[in-house]
Amino acid sequence: MNPTDPLTIAGKTFSSRLMLGTGKYHDFTVMKAALEASGTQIVTVAIRRVELKAPGHDGLLDALDLDRYQLLPNTAGCRTAEEAVRVAKLARAATGVDWLKLEVIPDPKYLLPDPIGTLQAAEILVGEGFTVLPYVQPDAVLARALERVGCATVMPLASPIGSGRGLRTSELIRTVLDGAAVPIVVDAGLGVPSDAAQALELGADAVLVNTAIAEARDPVAMARAFALGVEAGRLGYLAGRMAERESASPSSPVAGVVRLPDPEAVDG
Amino acid sequence: MQVNGQPHPFTPGLTLHALLRELDIAPERVAIAVGDDFYPGGQAPDRELAEGDVVEIVRAIGGG
Repeated sequence: MNPTDPLTIAGKTFSSRLMLGTGKYHDFTVMKAALEASGTQIVTVAIRRVELKAPGHDGLLDALDLDRYQLLPNTAGCRTAEEAVRVAKLARAATGVDWLKLEVIPDPKYLLPDPIGTLQAAEILVGEGFTVLPYVQPDAVLARALERVGCATVMPLASPIGSGRGLRTSELIRTVLDGAAVPIVVDAGLGVPSDAAQALELGADAVLVNTAIAEARDPVAMARAFALGVEAGRLGYLAGRMAERESASPSSPVAGVVRLPDPEAVDG
Repeated sequence: MQVNGQPHPFTPGLTLHALLRELDIAPERVAIAVGDDFYPGGQAPDRELAEGDVVEIVRAIGGG
């Protein structure tokens, strides 16, 4: 199912380059079928307070095959580095894994990450033994700084979270990819499988998708479609794209074309 | 004391396990913080709580 080259993050190797979120699904049955159809091996989860007035709840962790998926808890909802560090420690205690999708997001409208708070939290969490995958705007200077403090990947956004607006930041993501020392995972805003293909064609190492699959009319079919988009994009990247030209270049030989006599050249 | 951001009535001698029983929370699959101490729910000690403690009880849910 995944004939492309493997992806290695923090010493762990994955055959799938498609990470999936587990939010917004109608129910666990659909979510599990979508995860299956996507071929994903890395899935994100959120950490929230238990409802004290209604403690009985369905357990997401019980619904997931934890031998099969690398869990990637996030710090979604955290507005500051301090909140993110606290939620990270709760996430590790709740899941038993030290991988963390670091989100420090003070802005509720566009859900844009705070680059300074993200870098501060990343440095603290790496020091505490976490494998940190930070969510950021596509900023090459920030990306290199996150690499230097020991982040396992950098996850630049394609467009705002949940917007489905596609890869609007490709020129900036190009600069993040150029010289990257860790895998670059395009996260957030992808709407259709061709968006994922485009990200992989650019050279992104992986993508993370949630809303585009969970809110599709048929999430399971869309999960499979994204898997194919990722595979097509990666193969296209590895195959090496042709050079662009300003004008046309005929695909058929120009010599030996059958022509009618030019009327002006014919003797009367 | 505070539990999940809400004031919670404190009684002297209250322990963490007693609090979980009081709230009807099964410790498996949750995580607990008491101040700056973090515990997987199943491994949380039955420590005595103090009036000023800030307690968080969380779980993993669906998210991106």
